[in-house]
Amino acid sequence: MLKITNVHKKYNDNEVLKGVDINVAKGDVVVILGPSGSGKTTLLRCINFLDHADQGEMEFDEYHLQMHSATADEVRKIRQKTAFVFQNYNLFQNKTVLENVTAGLIIGRNIEKNEAVDLALKALAKVGLSDRVNFYPSQLSGGQQQRVGIARAIAVQPDVILFDEPTSALDPELISEVLGIIKQLAEEGTTMIIVTHEMKFAADVATHVIFMADGNIVEEGRPKDIFQSPKEERTRNFLRRVLPQVEYNI
Amino acid sequence: MRPFNPQFILDVIPNLLPFLWVTLSVVLGTVFFGSLLGFVLARAKLSQKPLYCWLADGYIYIIRCTPSIVLLFIVFYGLPKFCLEVFDMDINGYEKIFFVLVTFTLLFAAPISEVMRSAYEAIDHGQYEAAVSIGLTPWQAFYHIILPQATVVALPNFGNSVIELMKEGSLAYTIGLVDLIGKGQLIISQNYGAYALETYLPLAFIYLLLTLGVEKSFLRLEHAFSRQKKAA
Ligand SMILES: Nc1ncnc2c1ncn2[C@@H]1O[C@H](COP(=O)(O)OP(=O)(O)O)[C@@H](O)[C@H]1O
Ligand SMILES: [Mg+2]
Repeated sequence: MLKITNVHKKYNDNEVLKGVDINVAKGDVVVILGPSGSGKTTLLRCINFLDHADQGEMEFDEYHLQMHSATADEVRKIRQKTAFVFQNYNLFQNKTVLENVTAGLIIGRNIEKNEAVDLALKALAKVGLSDRVNFYPSQLSGGQQQRVGIARAIAVQPDVILFDEPTSALDPELISEVLGIIKQLAEEGTTMIIVTHEMKFAADVATHVIFMADGNIVEEGRPKDIFQSPKEERTRNFLRRVLPQVEYNI
Repeated sequence: MRPFNPQFILDVIPNLLPFLWVTLSVVLGTVFFGSLLGFVLARAKLSQKPLYCWLADGYIYIIRCTPSIVLLFIVFYGLPKFCLEVFDMDINGYEKIFFVLVTFTLLFAAPISEVMRSAYEAIDHGQYEAAVSIGLTPWQAFYHIILPQATVVALPNFGNSVIELMKEGSLAYTIGLVDLIGKGQLIISQNYGAYALETYLPLAFIYLLLTLGVEKSFLRLEHAFSRQKKAA
C-alpha cells in the first residue's frame, strides 16, 4: 500500500536520513525503535511532507512520486490519505474538542456538518471522550489531549496513521490510557507506523519492527525476532539499555 | 492680553464636529489599506526567500527613519510628478485626502506588519502542522487555525498603533486637508490668531474621546475573540 524507497534528508551538513526504505501493507502496525536523534521523527515528517526529503520515492496506492519534487497537489493527496499524531498533541487551542475533530472533515474534506459531527462523535466515543466534546484543549489532561489527537486522526479515516512518540510527553500514570486506545486500533486492523519507546507495548502491537540508528535502518523483522534474537550488535545494545527499565515498571 | 473666553469653546464645537468624519475616514481608510499592505509585508518577512525578507526589512527601516510630515510632503509633491513621468497620469487634481491616505497607509503598514509578524510567530507552528496533516490546505490551516489565534495576540498592539495613527493623522492639515484640525486652523486664522487656545482645547477633548472610543472598541474585540480562552 505504502512504499518509500531510499529516503535521504539533510539539515545543513547533518545527514539525518541516509537512504531509508519502508514498506507498509494494509493492516500492518510498523513500530520504529531507535535511540534519540536517529531520525525517526524526521522520517515520519517526511512521509507526511511536514519536512521535505532531499531524495526518495513514494508509492502510495495509485500515486507514485518523487519525494523531493512533490507538487502541492501531490502533497495534499498524500496528506488526505494519512494522519499524524504528535508527541505534544498540537491540538487547535481555539477550538473545542469536537471542532478539533471535525476540522479535518468539514474544512479539509468539505463533508457536510451533520455528517462530520456524527463521524467525530464516533471517533471521540472510541477514545472515551464523549463527555468532553465541548471542552477546550486547555481544560483537559495530557492523556485526554492526546486521545483527542488520536480521535482527530482516526476521524478522517486515513489509510495510514503516523504516531510520533504519542506518550512521551505524558505523566507515567496517563500513558496506559493512550496505549490502550492505540492497541485497540491495532486490533481493529488500522494501518499504523508508530515511533515509541514503550517496549512492551511495541512487542504487543507490532506486526513489523524497525530498529533505526544514525539515519539508517539497522535491522528489521517480526517483533519476536527483533526482541528475542536481534542479529545486530547495535540492536542488542539498544535493547539491553531500554528493556530492564520496562521490567521494573511492570 | 485678551481674557480667556469659555463661551467660544461651546460655540466652536458645532463648527468642528462636521469635520469629524474626515478625520475618521482617514483613520479607517488607513487602517484598512495599511493592514493590507502590512499583511503583505509580514508575509514577505516570514518568507523563505531572502530577497523578500530583505525588501520588507528595508521598507520597514526606511519608514521608521522618516518623519511623518516629511513623508506627507514627499507624497504630496512627489507622487503627482512620479505618476506623470512614469505613467503619464495626471493626479494633481486629486482630493487632498487621497495623498493623506497614501502617506498614512505607507506609514501604518510598517509597524502593523511587525505586529502581525510577531502575533503569527506567537502561535505554535505545531498547530499549523497538525492542520495540514489532516488534510487542510496551507491557506485553510492559516485562515481557520492560526489567524483567529494570532488576531487575539495582535489586538492590543494593533489598538495602540491605531491610536498612534490617529494622532499622527492630525498632521494632514499641513497639506491643506480640512479635517478636525484643519477646520480648527481655519477658524483660528479667520479670527486672526485669536481664540487659538479656545479652539485647541475642544480639539484636545475630541481627540481624548476618540482615543477612549478606540481603546474601548479594542477591549471589546479582545473580549469577543478570546472568549474561548477565558473558558479555560
Ligand atoms: N529542524 C531541524 N533542523 C536541524 N536539525 C534537525 C531538525 N530536526 C531534527 N534535526 C536533527 O536531526 C537529527 C534527527 O532528529 P529526529 O528525527 O528528531 O530524531 P529522533 O526522532 O529519532 O529522536 C537530530 O540530530 C536532530 O538534531
Ligand atoms: Mg523524535
